[in-house]
Amino acid sequence: MKSKRLKQKVWMYALMIFITVLTVGPFLITLFMAVKSPGEGIYDRIIPNDPTFGNFVIAFNKANFATYFLNTVIVTGLAIPLNLLFCSLAAYPLARMDFRGRSVVLALIISTMMVPFQLYMAPLFQLSGELGLRNTHVGLIVMQVSTAFGIFLMRQAYLRVPRDLEESAYLDGANKFKVWYMVVLPLVKPTLVTLAIFTFMGTWGDYLWPLLNSTESNKYTLSIGLAQLSQNFDGSNLKLISAASILTTIPTLLIFIWLQKYFISGATDGAVKG
Amino acid sequence: MKKKAAKKFVAGSIVAALSMSLMACNKDQASGEKEDNTSKAGELSGEVTLWTASLAGEPFDTYFKELEKEFEEQHPKLDVIIQDVPQNEMEQKVLTSLTGSDVPDVVNLNPHYMSNIASQGGLLDLTNEISDEANNAYVEGPFESGKYDGKLFALPWYLTTTVAWYNDDHFTEAGVTELPTTTQGIYETAKKVTEATGKPSYYPVINDGNTIMEKMVSISNGEPIVKDGKANLKGNQAILEFFELTQKMYKEGMIPQETAEGSIKTGQELYMAGNISLLEGGVTFLGPVESGAPEVFKASKAGQPLNDTNAPVNVAVMNFAVPAKTKNKEAAVALAEFVTNADNQLEFAKVAGTILPSTKESLEDDYFANPGDSPKGLGMLEASKSLSRAEVLIPPTENSADLRAATKNIFTKNLQGKVSPEEALKELEEEWNKAFEKTGEKVTF
Repeated sequence: MKSKRLKQKVWMYALMIFITVLTVGPFLITLFMAVKSPGEGIYDRIIPNDPTFGNFVIAFNKANFATYFLNTVIVTGLAIPLNLLFCSLAAYPLARMDFRGRSVVLALIISTMMVPFQLYMAPLFQLSGELGLRNTHVGLIVMQVSTAFGIFLMRQAYLRVPRDLEESAYLDGANKFKVWYMVVLPLVKPTLVTLAIFTFMGTWGDYLWPLLNSTESNKYTLSIGLAQLSQNFDGSNLKLISAASILTTIPTLLIFIWLQKYFISGATDGAVKG
Repeated sequence: MKKKAAKKFVAGSIVAALSMSLMACNKDQASGEKEDNTSKAGELSGEVTLWTASLAGEPFDTYFKELEKEFEEQHPKLDVIIQDVPQNEMEQKVLTSLTGSDVPDVVNLNPHYMSNIASQGGLLDLTNEISDEANNAYVEGPFESGKYDGKLFALPWYLTTTVAWYNDDHFTEAGVTELPTTTQGIYETAKKVTEATGKPSYYPVINDGNTIMEKMVSISNGEPIVKDGKANLKGNQAILEFFELTQKMYKEGMIPQETAEGSIKTGQELYMAGNISLLEGGVTFLGPVESGAPEVFKASKAGQPLNDTNAPVNVAVMNFAVPAKTKNKEAAVALAEFVTNADNQLEFAKVAGTILPSTKESLEDDYFANPGDSPKGLGMLEASKSLSRAEVLIPPTENSADLRAATKNIFTKNLQGKVSPEEALKELEEEWNKAFEKTGEKVTF
């Protein structure tokens, strides 16, 4: 019996180690490539012989990372609170208020998730120009503010909140806004954090829209800098690209590690009740 | 009742969306019709924006800053803005910008992007816009690549031609002293090198199929592979031999399995890892090798493409075009001529280090006859030697995406032995003919 359990454990650990190698392996290989010295070939050996951080400095300067990093931080900093605000506001009536056409509105919002970006990027480009959003930080986040996915996620979270809690707040004299803000919103905090992480990842890594909407390169974001580096005219320097990729990934990684307990619980919210 | 309301809502939304697009279009048209900024006395003024493709960072930033300064000194009332856009997204970005009013004035394109944008009416016809001096300044092949439908839409800038790259350490190990010039020669060389190194040795670059089409034109050496919009492969022994021997090399392990993917990037990775020894590519091929595999870089040597010494070779051109909706036409054309003039092209070629200029005068400079004996210098030397027989081998056509996709699929199938070479060529003919029937283009190449 004991040996059977031990066998199971060994298999379980072997499987976990295998999956860890599969997921962490590419990241480690990128890291090792990034710290290889100029004289060392990227395919010579996996572990660098004479590690250096010089590639990070070169990549940082070459891709104009300081400006692009600042732009990315600004747009991400704007996108997260705005998306949380608009999504949580828009989702509440869809979950709790009875009005004519509610299901049609919900279906329309969700259906926008099926439309490929390429289909509406030209009108969006026109519109952002007409609204004076070209080459502005706000213009870069129009895709990330009030997303259909966010509205759906928040609606699902609201549906899990017991109605009794809201009704008792109404009995105490609270209005709809107060009930939403003081009773319901604190109860869906894990989902808000999940949405914040999704918004962070979407905005931080967004590429095509920031590129289209910026006709001035001083409004470019990190992902565009990375593309400039990898599509360099005389071929890409894989050590620099690896270093730049690591620099771009670090903030995402830190945020995920910081908020992962909320992320795991929030990500499964939508699956519970539809 | 609910259904009715939903229908009304959907209909209302569609009408609103259409009205908004139309209003935006009208407004754009109006702004496109605005008079340009150049004063009537002919003095250039206002703003002119130029987009380069994947030329960000040093040494290019300094080069373009100086270029900008010099042009502004020549035209004190003009403000030049130079921006860089990643090459892969250039076409999409230009097309999108044309739907609005924020259009650049000069854009750096390749002939495929150029012909696609020109076919949609997005580029200014430069035929009667450029000076006589510019008309005669460029090498013929690259200049012709700026034409679409008989009209000139772009001025050529920098070029790269195909050269053969090989790992000299592997060649020495195998006792090979000369590069092959025939398909049979490639087979024999690859066999010797593979026997010596125990690894695959030859990598035929496929990319999206276009490189194989170019190779077929070179191999065919004068006999068109497409004649008046019809595939012309029947009886072409040289191409049949290429299909037969590449299949054989793949089967015998001289061509690596990764060739099925076929991109130059994969070729570069295999070459850097020492897993292949011979391939054809542009002069810029060694860029990543220099930083990624310094030892392989040192062992690299260049030679003429692996065809008959008089066979045509492909030239890849980067050019400058002026979008049709530019608000500063005169300044845009003047800037395009300025950036591509002989002096500036020569300077740019020296800064970039691995490209050739497209003006006749700059090519006569001693720099291209004696570029040094570094691996990159050897590549430049070979490229400039073959420039006299270089041309854009596959003209831009509307159906080029179909042609390329069919070529890639069928060549790969042949390589893997899924079809016989004869069957592959027959299938290729059928696919090409279908693509030409669809568009009705009567091209020959």
